Amino acid sequence: MNIIEIKELSHMFSNGTLVLDKIDFSVKKGEFIVIAGPNGSGKTTLLRHLNGLLFPTGGTVMVDGVSVSEDPVRARRIVGMVFQDSDTQIIGETVREDVAFGPENLCLGRKEIEQRTSEALRITGLTCMVDSRPHLLSGGEKRRLAIAGVLAMKPDVLTFDEPFSNLDYPGTRQVLKQIIELHKSGCTIIITTHDLEKVIAHADRLIIMKDGKIVRAGFPEQIISDAELFGIKEPYFSRMGLGMISWLS
Amino acid sequence: MAELTSFSYRPRISLIHKIDARFKLLFIVIIGFLSLKASLPSVLLLSVFVVYGLVRIGISIWQVVRDLYIFIFFLAFVFAIRAFSAGGAVFITIFEMGLTYEGLIEGSLVCLRIILMILLGLLFTSTTRIAEVKAAIDWIFKPLPFISGSRVSTMTGLMMRFIPVILEQARETASAQKARSIENRKNPVYRMVKFSVPLIERIFYNAGRISMAMEARCYSDMRTGQKLSSTMNDWITLIVILLIGIISVLFL
Repeated sequence: MNIIEIKELSHMFSNGTLVLDKIDFSVKKGEFIVIAGPNGSGKTTLLRHLNGLLFPTGGTVMVDGVSVSEDPVRARRIVGMVFQDSDTQIIGETVREDVAFGPENLCLGRKEIEQRTSEALRITGLTCMVDSRPHLLSGGEKRRLAIAGVLAMKPDVLTFDEPFSNLDYPGTRQVLKQIIELHKSGCTIIITTHDLEKVIAHADRLIIMKDGKIVRAGFPEQIISDAELFGIKEPYFSRMGLGMISWLS
Repeated sequence: MAELTSFSYRPRISLIHKIDARFKLLFIVIIGFLSLKASLPSVLLLSVFVVYGLVRIGISIWQVVRDLYIFIFFLAFVFAIRAFSAGGAVFITIFEMGLTYEGLIEGSLVCLRIILMILLGLLFTSTTRIAEVKAAIDWIFKPLPFISGSRVSTMTGLMMRFIPVILEQARETASAQKARSIENRKNPVYRMVKFSVPLIERIFYNAGRISMAMEARCYSDMRTGQKLSSTMNDWITLIVILLIGIISVLFL
């Protein structure tokens, strides 16, 4: 069953720039999709349509059978988004408060909020930092906090905008491990990146974008060798014919 | 890792942290009114109490001065205007303007009142969670007709959320300009323009990004709020503050 269906999605900025040009694709429940493309290819703009932060200037985006334009709040409950810059996503003054921010917005009872907060902190391994100041955490911890904040809202789909940017090697591994565990637990995952090497080994499907269009879509093994045609570095293991190698192996 | 700005909440277990946000707002109003009636020694005494509170919760006074150094120019300007415009016996004349003893006292008093209110605001933001402030404002505005308490409290909460962001942006912009030798330009107007224009642009850009992130997490003025409850400590603190205020106004 498709949880997201995008038909002929176009988006034009107010200055007349066409950022997305007739995008068509759908996402099945439980899928792990990587959307790759160089800077300015429209990846982030596409993600922002999935939870109603942007609305199409043409075409439709349906989340679980309902148009995002008609009910963006519902879309935001179903599709959680982890932003590229964790600092702008962190709202609370402590780790616990930040995670509770989403459930509070859903007008849940205090007990339910506490339960969801504790659960999200446990999953992301931040339980020992509940009273820390978020802005004093390391890059990897901040990214995990951003994930916890979204997880507490119990979305069905998790979208990550460049989740490994500005992270060192241990931080990247921590976040990648987290994403894979979430996928194993049943979450649908959509990741945008221009750095395929870190994540492609875990993806079910790869979509390559350039200039606001989908130029390739399919199984990673089949289309990854075309990545460099569109300004994305082909992973070393693929170039050397070594198959898909995870960063966690 | 980032460095904290002065106007950030500092999670700690202290008496000031535990006080109900509604009482804290009331204290600010009381001290604000008292400072209008108080003499220079009284305002100085109240300021000493507030500074003591700030030090107790771990705020470095030097960091406050560093964060607000631009504001010192504003205070100097206010002081100069007052010092040179008040009546009394002139004891120095500079550029045909007379500096009086009364002017010095009046200028010091006005500046000290402003400093007191800034320090009170700092003490409040450092010890009160935004959620508590929102709940307190919501509670205050609830009985008033035609004003949406939840909307006012949301606006206040957002404003408080953005103060550290603005200070952080100002710090980063200043550092970036220092790295490119802005000190070599002696024209203060040029420096002011080169500092303020990119700063304002960045503030708006970041405000847009933060509000988008909040929207992505379903933020609205209808949300589960913080529960507030007053304790005996709050009432005792209120009595102590009233006593200090009365003593400082009547006897100093």
